[in-house]
Amino acid sequence: MKTEYLTLTATFQPSRTRHRLIFPGLILLVLIFFILDILLGSVSLEVSEVITALSGTADTGVETIIMKFRIPKAITATVVGIALSLSGLQMQTLFRNPMAGPYVLGISSGASLGVAFIVLGLSANISPDSLKGLGNWSLVAASWAGAGVIMIVMLFLASRVKDILTVLIIGIMLSGGISAIVSIMQYFSHETMLKAYVIWTMGSLGNLTASQLNVLLLSVSAGIILSLLSVKMLNALLLGENYAGSIGLNIRFSRIIIFTGTSILAGSITAFCGPIGFIGIAVPHIARILFRTSDHKILIPGTILTGSAVMLLSDIISQMPGSDNVLPVNSITALMGIPIVIWVIMRNRKYSGIF
Amino acid sequence: MNSHPVIHASYRYLSTMCLSSLLMILMSCSARNETKRNNSDLQENNGVFYAERFTLVRNDGYSKLTITDPWQGAEDVTQVWYLIRRGSVAPPGIDPQNILFVPLQKIICMSSTHLSMIKALDEEHTITGVSGAGFLYDRTLIYRFEKGLVKDVGYDDNLNKELIVNISPDLVMVYGVGSESLGYIGKIKELGIKVLYNADYLETDPLGRAEWIKLFGALYCKEELAEEIFYSIVEEYNELKDYITKNTNIKPTVLLGLPFKDTWFISPGNSYISRMISDAGGDYLWIDTRSSVSIPFGIENVFIKALDADYWLNIGSVNRKDEISAIDLRLEALPCFKNGNLYNNNKRSNSKGANDYWESGSLKPQIILKDIASILHPDLFSDTELFYYRKLD
Repeated sequence: MKTEYLTLTATFQPSRTRHRLIFPGLILLVLIFFILDILLGSVSLEVSEVITALSGTADTGVETIIMKFRIPKAITATVVGIALSLSGLQMQTLFRNPMAGPYVLGISSGASLGVAFIVLGLSANISPDSLKGLGNWSLVAASWAGAGVIMIVMLFLASRVKDILTVLIIGIMLSGGISAIVSIMQYFSHETMLKAYVIWTMGSLGNLTASQLNVLLLSVSAGIILSLLSVKMLNALLLGENYAGSIGLNIRFSRIIIFTGTSILAGSITAFCGPIGFIGIAVPHIARILFRTSDHKILIPGTILTGSAVMLLSDIISQMPGSDNVLPVNSITALMGIPIVIWVIMRNRKYSGIF
Repeated sequence: MNSHPVIHASYRYLSTMCLSSLLMILMSCSARNETKRNNSDLQENNGVFYAERFTLVRNDGYSKLTITDPWQGAEDVTQVWYLIRRGSVAPPGIDPQNILFVPLQKIICMSSTHLSMIKALDEEHTITGVSGAGFLYDRTLIYRFEKGLVKDVGYDDNLNKELIVNISPDLVMVYGVGSESLGYIGKIKELGIKVLYNADYLETDPLGRAEWIKLFGALYCKEELAEEIFYSIVEEYNELKDYITKNTNIKPTVLLGLPFKDTWFISPGNSYISRMISDAGGDYLWIDTRSSVSIPFGIENVFIKALDADYWLNIGSVNRKDEISAIDLRLEALPCFKNGNLYNNNKRSNSKGANDYWESGSLKPQIILKDIASILHPDLFSDTELFYYRKLD
């Protein structure tokens, strides 16, 4: 394993000049996409209108669209991109598996179970239409509770089970079991409820109130801090837990830090925006290709920037500028993410050696 | 009764007929009604004028009932029934599968709109099974359910087929949301039970939907009573409509529904409720849209248009203003929210969530019309008590 790592560092020789070009380039790209995300939407607005709205002198309609709809949505997209890509990166390293993502721990299944209890579980007692009367926070709370329960179970396992592969398999099995329960609930629920649930699973970025956005920003910041703390652990874990342990890394402690970080990141995103797929798996791969390194000191900021750029672009596409309709953002991230993953795997055979 | 009324809430009026057939209907509407009327004069009013999805022809000794395209997206589907009086002999050459002996003595209804029509003909005692008893609004039916005289047969794929066989009804009346409903319906048919599609919710003309009472009239051999009920509805509805047209100049604009996340499913302009708003002297903001189902719009798109809305109706199952704020705070910025012009159609709903609007509303279009007209034009009627609607505060 050690020799493998050495050959990898040889192939992926980090070049400082390359990074000096890519980082500013990515920052610029994120800024451009952020601005485009505010400019483009299903209501067509002139640039001048947007500028007057930002200065607070536009008519109320345009101002509300910009200030209450588009800016919060653009911020949400950025945060979602950061959080999911970062947790995906950590999971890929921890499990040494290129197909790991933020949801391998069963976070999204847990969240969907929470939401299913609220959305589908009610249908036996309350009229399906009453879903529309459910407050914004109730879905968030349910989703968070579901993700939290799974997180506690996984943390418990992670500190007990020795082999990390076992944890991965248990995580996948747990997700499967939960999906089965959700399927049973879907089977017994009414069409209206089912539709509402399906819409939830498609993800949405544009529904956060200012207070929810604050909560999201806070929890994602906490997750990012945990990720930054884990840079050294992740770099050591890249060589496998045995090696990491032999150079003095406390495996149990690292697992708990990394799991907590991931759960906070993926759990809060799922709670507010639904399970948004493929960003978490695809973006770390893009970052690795761009920066040609597996060093997390570079990869973590790289993933943060790439993630927000990709997510903002997905949101712009899902709004289908100029059209009345919007597409579910989850479909866009999947349609963008899948080709990237395939391309990465086809193009870089050696690349799989990282894991 | 259970979701179905409410599904109808969300989908029924939204989910109407196909665009193409609708355009054809619109084009041929007046001419067709004319010829039908003339024909029917010859047959002593035994035709169907407003409803587009069924015809009823009385012949010697039997009636021929034809139901066309009974579910959303159905094309060229025709179902023919021969209604023969109990004790009479069926005319030769008719497939016994298509024969119904009337009057019906036991019926299972899958939608609540069926119940109110049967009740109007005073045949409530024939209802032996319903779908989702928890969502019944009618007190007599709830009482009969509690007494065990009415059974809950479940719904869709969870249909309790054994119970249905045990009840052994003369007829199971179903509604088709899509061709997928053929699956569970096929199974009941296989058990030798007759299944009739009721497509009332696909009618976009309020009077067309009410006209389905004639079908029940034929099923219970109470044709005259059904005609009487229907014509009083037509008369009242048209009188009201004329009165509204004559006495209103401005057309207040109307917004409908609620968003879910960042999508707002909008009832198209060719829907039942859109028609009702026009007849009530209102201007539905999405009157120009055409679709057989509700159309998903981006929330910002709806929001910017809704800034012009004077009134906001049919707001999900919301009971108070602050429930709207809980769904999306940004909706508070709409002028109709600020003005308090918020009216929901759930005045008559019970603690279990059953809403009479979806149970008896299809047979009372004139009352819905009057409700909406009194909301949009507060000075129009001296008596302003609303029946199905209520103001949210």
